[in-house]
Amino acid sequence: MMALHANIRYCRVILLFLAGCAFFALLISRPAYAADEGGELDAVAHTADGVYLDFAPFGTVELPRIFLRKDPWGVDVFSSTRSALLSERYEIEHEEDGHAEVLHGEALHAAIEHHEHLYVKPKPVLGTMVLDLSITRHLVFGLLAALITLAIFLTLARRYRRHEDRVSAPRGIFQNMFEGLIVYVRDEIARPCIGPKYEQFVPFLLTAFTFILFCNLMGLVPYASAATSNISVTLTLAVFSFVVGQRRGTRAYWRHMFWAPGVPLPVKCLLAPIELVSLIAKHFALALRLFANMMSGSLLILSLIGIIFTINVLFGSLIATFVAPLGIAFTLFISFIKIAVAFIHAFVFTLLSAIFFGMAVEEHHEDEAHAEEQPVLAG
Amino acid sequence: MDIILAQSLLEPNAGLIFYKVVVFALLLFILRRFAWKPIVSALSEREETIDTSIKKAERALEEARKTGEKNEEARRAAEESARRVMQEARAAAEQVRSEELEKTRARIRQMQEQAQAEIEREKQRALDELRDEVAGLAIQTAEHILEETLDADRQRKMVDRFIEQLPRN
Repeated sequence: MMALHANIRYCRVILLFLAGCAFFALLISRPAYAADEGGELDAVAHTADGVYLDFAPFGTVELPRIFLRKDPWGVDVFSSTRSALLSERYEIEHEEDGHAEVLHGEALHAAIEHHEHLYVKPKPVLGTMVLDLSITRHLVFGLLAALITLAIFLTLARRYRRHEDRVSAPRGIFQNMFEGLIVYVRDEIARPCIGPKYEQFVPFLLTAFTFILFCNLMGLVPYASAATSNISVTLTLAVFSFVVGQRRGTRAYWRHMFWAPGVPLPVKCLLAPIELVSLIAKHFALALRLFANMMSGSLLILSLIGIIFTINVLFGSLIATFVAPLGIAFTLFISFIKIAVAFIHAFVFTLLSAIFFGMAVEEHHEDEAHAEEQPVLAG
Repeated sequence: MDIILAQSLLEPNAGLIFYKVVVFALLLFILRRFAWKPIVSALSEREETIDTSIKKAERALEEARKTGEKNEEARRAAEESARRVMQEARAAAEQVRSEELEKTRARIRQMQEQAQAEIEREKQRALDELRDEVAGLAIQTAEHILEETLDADRQRKMVDRFIEQLPRN
């Protein structure tokens, strides 16, 4: 009873802390955006990936740029976009009145001054770009989430070194909290969705769940952002899920997909591509669902804050002052929702992955196949 | 610029995908090797331990219950036999008592009868003696009265007849 109370208190403290962080971030970011030229607030730029870390109002940290180019082949590494442009081996174009113009000298310096260079793709002066391997914001926060995941679970794993600890009850909030997550994923997601062969998928499901969860929660931290609000990241995760699951697909699973038993030949030919498309679409939806949900939260918060400035511009500062608390309150509300969403979508991704794994490894019994065939033959 | 930005939300970034594949693969590998394996195995080990402990406890409880039942049964049997022994003892005692009583009663009766017989015999003897005495006295008296008119035998016969005619008591 005491432990439960303590846990609830801890949870409350964490929730309050997160809410406080969100609130504080909003308070800080408000004057920053207001200070931007013309009160311009670009929610999309903030939500999208970028080659910089935004620590407004304290400034912006540009991230290293790494380019792979060909003709001639080579890898160029710069400490920042600024240094890449100032080295004059890469250039940016400014589009105005329908024609593009490469920025040089004063114009380039002015663009850098206004951080415009961060939103444009640089081009190599010599040769053509093959791959932009620059470190981006979402990569940094994804790495951070991965490091947090590693730190937490490698620490947790040390608790099970001694035999007495392996069989005794879990102690302390740390072990109880994260062991709870592990047991939940294993017993509530993997086992019921996959069936008897669930054990081989538990490591992937756990990794996906914890990594996505920490990525999502990172979206609630001021100045950080959720790596999962980037389609590239979620696509990668979905591809991993696809590979891990389909690699273990049973013979019956593939046969049912591409050569459905008990169906006339033309229907078989028709079903195979449909099944293939549905398989890919399922995994694509996995990526899109996570990405859209995480991105929309961020967009929504920024839009709610943006309303204040829009009203400021449209109706004047007096009305904006009255609207501001409303906007903040909504933002706080959405922040709470985002905490729930962070957990829910980590869960949904893991659950659906587990369901797809379950389909792939399910044993089709002979009698079952016959039962399916029987009505078709009769018809 | 806005168009570029809007695109950047949906446009997959090949570089980022490359990094992410590396990062996630590494994460998966390290966690699987150093975190999930020890943790999950420890969890199942603990579950097994708990399972066996519970089963053991259940078995012990069952055994204890059985032992208790056995004890109860033994106690009941002992009580039953004790009661039977006591009952038997009581019955035996009762029998002995009644037999003793009967015997005593019989002896008393016998003694009474003996005494009666003795008394009867004594009475008879006394009567006989008395009769002899009376006969002697009568003869003497008659001798005195009648002097020697009658011989002794006739006199005796006459007195005997006389005595015979006397009432018995």
